[in-house]
Amino acid sequence: MSEARFQNPGWAGNTGEFDLTEADVRGSDFAGEPPLDGGHPSVAPSLPFMLVKKDPDAPLFEGPYLERFEKIRGRYPTARAALLPALNLAQELRGHVSPETMDEVAGLLGLSDAFVRGVATFYTMYNKRPVGRFLIQVCTNISCNLCGADKVLAAFLEHTGTELGQTSSDGNFTVAEAECLAACGFPTCVQINSRYFEDVSVDDVPAVLERLKREVNDGF
Amino acid sequence: MAYPYRHEKETRILSEGFGDPAARTVAGWKALGGYQGIARALEIGREATIDEVKASGLRGRGGAGFPTGLKWSFMPKDARRPHYLLCNADESEPGTFKDREIIRWTPHQLIEGCLVGSYAIGAAHCYIYLRGEFFESTLVLARALEEAYEEGLVGKDIMGSGVDIDMTLHVGAGAYICGEETGLMSSLEGRRGEPRVKPPFPAAVGAFGMPSTINNVETLAATPHILRHGGEWYRQWGTEKSPGTKLFCVSGHVNKPGNYEFPLGFPMMELIEDVCGGIRDGRALKAVIPGGSSVPIMSAEDCRECSLCYEGVEAAGSMLGCASVIVMDDTTDIVKQVRRMAYFYAHESCGQCTPCREGTTWATRILQRIEDGRGTEDDLDTLIEISEQMTGTTICVLSDSLAMPIISSIEKFRDDYLALIRRGERVGAA
Repeated sequence: MSEARFQNPGWAGNTGEFDLTEADVRGSDFAGEPPLDGGHPSVAPSLPFMLVKKDPDAPLFEGPYLERFEKIRGRYPTARAALLPALNLAQELRGHVSPETMDEVAGLLGLSDAFVRGVATFYTMYNKRPVGRFLIQVCTNISCNLCGADKVLAAFLEHTGTELGQTSSDGNFTVAEAECLAACGFPTCVQINSRYFEDVSVDDVPAVLERLKREVNDGF
Repeated sequence: MAYPYRHEKETRILSEGFGDPAARTVAGWKALGGYQGIARALEIGREATIDEVKASGLRGRGGAGFPTGLKWSFMPKDARRPHYLLCNADESEPGTFKDREIIRWTPHQLIEGCLVGSYAIGAAHCYIYLRGEFFESTLVLARALEEAYEEGLVGKDIMGSGVDIDMTLHVGAGAYICGEETGLMSSLEGRRGEPRVKPPFPAAVGAFGMPSTINNVETLAATPHILRHGGEWYRQWGTEKSPGTKLFCVSGHVNKPGNYEFPLGFPMMELIEDVCGGIRDGRALKAVIPGGSSVPIMSAEDCRECSLCYEGVEAAGSMLGCASVIVMDDTTDIVKQVRRMAYFYAHESCGQCTPCREGTTWATRILQRIEDGRGTEDDLDTLIEISEQMTGTTICVLSDSLAMPIISSIEKFRDDYLALIRRGERVGAA
């Protein structure tokens, strides 16, 4: 087609096309930094974050994280209902949820170890193994797939020098396939830690990885 | 251009604030008429609020299309036990990306909708179940909810009415099945997201064993507008059976994919050809999935006269679902795409019911075999047979959701399957 490619605002690299900045699109200026203690109790169960920095030995839970955990517990009529948010919180700190972490969370909530393991292994977002600083999840479901998501996934694997699900030797990247991320109008959608990168084409992949490497160096 | 998904023919009710960062604040939302809907609801009372929504004819936007006002009226009237409103923001149907736009651009539209719903059903606590992947949009909603609490719009004695409505944001952890209403309740309670047998229906025994109502984000977002302007006002758009406007999520091989808001009954071809700028590279239309991946595939021929309302898409042999229009051009490899969908359902099956757990995996293997050029014509009969056994035999409709695209694709694109089976030829690009 002779017409210029129609560009989406979701993809950070393309926002120059519009009046909106990347922060406008992401809402990051409005939302601000999520407080470690969870902020208002009504939103405390909703602030799990996938961070670059992971500490597999971090205690469950201390300081502001303990405050957030207490706020979460206060929002539900049963202790069990706090399980998913508590596992999210553990993963935010430790980067993954090991069997030992599951047992610790079980102890905190007074649930059986077996029950918690059954629940934790049901959900795909709990990383059962350690992952890289950036977990790159490429949507390959139908809408993205129609627009070449398989090739975008292959490009991420090639440029990070990894196999699917493996972590690169520098510890920076783990590339995985994801199911529909609900950004079907902006194919291919790639979720990298807590952010969506949308309208990613094969040609964009090196620039995305460069940006991520800079963020590691900047201590993001 | 601020927000690219605009078209002059649109009727923007829900999407008015999309692309406007100011609409994320309480002040910005009030400038667009926000919080007048809940104010009117509090003024006219519970019963009248339900009646207004009934009069509007609003149908659930999560896929099933059940009348919202009627659903609310099923809730017990006594207040002896706590009632809960659960907002389903676990948007994960492949092809659907409307709820995320509502949440990230107009969070107060959803909060106000949750207030209207909670008030109507007598719930003092509303849980918004967001999918875990929505980190960024959840942060926007979280900030907005904190502001709503600060302004006295949510919490104790909302807007000085004496009514208490609390709200909690709850995030999932990656499971498609938690978008099913009883699966969502199980997950909210801290269990595996396994759907439950109905009856008992959620209005009798729901979350935490209490009467509960589950509504989709887009459904709740429409209710403040209905309360503010009246049920009759909402009926000026759409058809008799499908009143109002709807966000259409168009994805796939069109020049301008995106969310567009139109009255229900909008012609499908006009949406594809005109609004979305036609098929990319000037190619021909091959197939459309009109309502997210769980509905029957339509051929180009089926689309020609199809109007996008519940009854219109049904007449064309499919279902409107959540109006996620996935467009495929003539280079599309249908077998590959159906196999990819089958893989998705196999991955997301919760495993409770045998026809689903075994059927989705078995169908995926057969489709993979056909795609690899090792299939036989008997495989097509087997696929149909498995699909029929996956229909209506399980607790929820996840396995039915795979059966429909399999059966319809074999009916409508049998030649694509046969080309692979007989000659090892892939139709369309890889």
